[in-house]
Amino acid sequence: MNKRVVITGVGMITPIGSGKDVFWEALTSGKSGVDEVSCIDTSGFRVHRGCEVKNFNYSDYIRNGVLKEIGKGSQFAIAATKLALDDAEIDLSEVDLERMGVSVGTTAGEIQILEKVNHIRHRDGEDKVAPDLFLMHPCNNIPANIAIEFGLKGPNTIIPTACAAGNYAVGYAYDLIRFGRTDVMVAGGSDPFSKVAFTGFARLGAIAPEICQPFDKNRKGMMVGEGAGILVLESLECAEKRNANIYAEIIGYGLSCDAYHITIPHPDGEGVVSAMVKALKSANLGPEDVQYISAHGTGTPANDKAETISIKKVFGDKPRHLAISSIKSMIGHTMGAASVIESIACALTVQNDIIPPTINYVTPDPECDLDYVPNVMRKQVVNIALNNAHAFGGNNSCLVIKKFTG
Amino acid sequence: MDETRIVVTGISVISSLGETKDVFWQNLINGVSGIKPITLFDVSSFNSKQAGEITDFDPKIYLGKKGIRHIDRTSLLVSSASCLAIKDANIESDTYNEDELGIVVGSTYGSIDSISSFDFQSLREGPSYVNPMDFPNTVINAPASRASIFCKATGLNTTISNGVTSSIDAIIYASDFLKMKRVKAVIAGGVYGLGHDIFWGAHNSKILAGSKSGTLEISAPFDKRRNGMVLGEASALLVLETLEDALKRNANIYAEIKGYGTSFDPKMAISKEYQTDGNIRAIRSALEDAKLTLHDISYISANAYSGVYGDAIEAKALKEVFGMRAKLIPVTAIKSMTGECLDASGALQTLAAIMSIKTHTIPPIINYKEPDPECDLGLVIEKAATVPVKNVLINSFSRLGNNSSLIVSKFK
Repeated sequence: MNKRVVITGVGMITPIGSGKDVFWEALTSGKSGVDEVSCIDTSGFRVHRGCEVKNFNYSDYIRNGVLKEIGKGSQFAIAATKLALDDAEIDLSEVDLERMGVSVGTTAGEIQILEKVNHIRHRDGEDKVAPDLFLMHPCNNIPANIAIEFGLKGPNTIIPTACAAGNYAVGYAYDLIRFGRTDVMVAGGSDPFSKVAFTGFARLGAIAPEICQPFDKNRKGMMVGEGAGILVLESLECAEKRNANIYAEIIGYGLSCDAYHITIPHPDGEGVVSAMVKALKSANLGPEDVQYISAHGTGTPANDKAETISIKKVFGDKPRHLAISSIKSMIGHTMGAASVIESIACALTVQNDIIPPTINYVTPDPECDLDYVPNVMRKQVVNIALNNAHAFGGNNSCLVIKKFTG
Repeated sequence: MDETRIVVTGISVISSLGETKDVFWQNLINGVSGIKPITLFDVSSFNSKQAGEITDFDPKIYLGKKGIRHIDRTSLLVSSASCLAIKDANIESDTYNEDELGIVVGSTYGSIDSISSFDFQSLREGPSYVNPMDFPNTVINAPASRASIFCKATGLNTTISNGVTSSIDAIIYASDFLKMKRVKAVIAGGVYGLGHDIFWGAHNSKILAGSKSGTLEISAPFDKRRNGMVLGEASALLVLETLEDALKRNANIYAEIKGYGTSFDPKMAISKEYQTDGNIRAIRSALEDAKLTLHDISYISANAYSGVYGDAIEAKALKEVFGMRAKLIPVTAIKSMTGECLDASGALQTLAAIMSIKTHTIPPIINYKEPDPECDLGLVIEKAATVPVKNVLINSFSRLGNNSSLIVSKFK
């Protein structure tokens, strides 16, 4: 029972564009999704910029859907699922829906619902809140709503391991298929813009005032973002049977926990190293096999330095032919969706042999002295890509994505 | 990997019925209710007033005094229970490397009060005045991550937020991880710390017992008078290992995780009809995974939570799966005593099942008075039953459509 697992569809709702073609064009041309934040009033803050999804209309994706009232997290996730299923050319009337499940990650779930509830409670009092509004908030609504909308009857799960959640969810979906517990999974992550997260990160001084500059000497922080990413994963058998287009193969992953501090990463990067080492081991690979790492690369001084140290511990001080980039420079940090959107980028990278750049890179940092593919995309053969994601709570993850070669 | 056997080598519980497995068990088989008037928050404006609250929970006993001031109740409960579980499993600092030890926790609802209180501070005083020390409590994985720090478990740390089925799903996730030999021991289960917001939200949606004025506030699973759940809080955890590793270190083996099955029912939340399909598929796939037949099941630990529809749907599903045997096979519902402990419920049921296997006793359903013809099962009522217990089927079903069934068995 060790089936091969392939990616046959991708869908994404992001601040730099939605749908594969628009997204990939934006990513490879170095488009920035940073703008003044409009969905919350930032006048009480010292920072005002972030990465929002522009012009999102749920009805553009789902008309006459089964579900009427759902939160933005579910809307993003369902829209991305629609894009991914269309991209995978899956005809739901021809699949065994009991063998098709959902595994998604999130940081804050339907946080906008709770923020709305709290706003009403604060302004008008508890008894002014509509009866069923609050129950739309708990994050398990997201995978349930995806399954309800598309009629999926297989395993259904949400893993909220904060900013690494997407990798956890995709990893679990990969396990479920690998061991034959199911055949097809909708795997991904979703997070709408969170005022709570913006407030918390702003208070910690972690948000950049203007732009996100991962690995640059003058980097000033992250950009809070929003969005969703969905992969259609299936067993190779299934994909071949229906003659599906295959983007890439998932061949392993690694998880670890710092068990050090709830917000501060381990100073030696031990946990991050462990996740990468486990990922390589699970895929039977050595460091020399890897051509590209999609970095967690949030753009905060501490993260990018620690991540660089960790990468060096695994790949050596001067790894040759190892390109690293952070697409958060363009999209911002889309929280639980981030690592999924990055996995989609990795899948497109190994398929097209094009590495998306780290934009806004101006001044090299002696403490971050690796090849970050600055500012301009690069054409380079990539057979193996790693996708790093780390989170609050010391949760670390690394997913291994391989060029599909039959 | 299918041949790898997973066993339970440690258990811990902090609940309204006690903070040790023995007290918890004594209370369960004696039919003691943990449900009482709420003291944790003000309930004067609600029709419902009760919950399975843990009286006098003191985290200092388990975690020491240092550094716990900014940690929320849910995190304290699961951190405390994690330390107890490791101790119960006799895992010492030199038994396994830190990297061989993991934690998987079901937690969906227990962080919501922390998120709201952070948000309210910002609404009241402005975003520059929030306390950054409170921010980490707003991430849903904080409870499991806090526990990892107290237990020094670096191998794996995952939170599952599938609502009521979370803790069974966490046990399933952990078992799969062990089968893949990624870690040596996993602390797995669930936690829910009682808070105002879930109580208020459930009350607002009229799904709490007694929330409609003039109705009984009672947790009475399968009883005709049932009119909604009574909430409870708990942390219940298991230590899981492969049989091979457990034997190697001569561990005490409580029971075996024999099989599991999950399903989703896309019609559950939106249909007006009784949807039994998801329940049935979860139960059947658990039986298949465990390679057991209907006749092998000693008793059923029902999901039944005193829900008007939920209990009836489960009863109908059990009748469809077990046929004639549905009235003969003992069925219990411990939520009559603990209340609906949400993310901790499935793990509490599992713990009770493990103690049943050890003592050959099935805890009763309390508060049962008026039979409901729709729920005519072999209910164990009023008094505990003494029967040989080999295999227990545990059900955990959510109103959104998640269904998980687990079978725990006597270790042979």
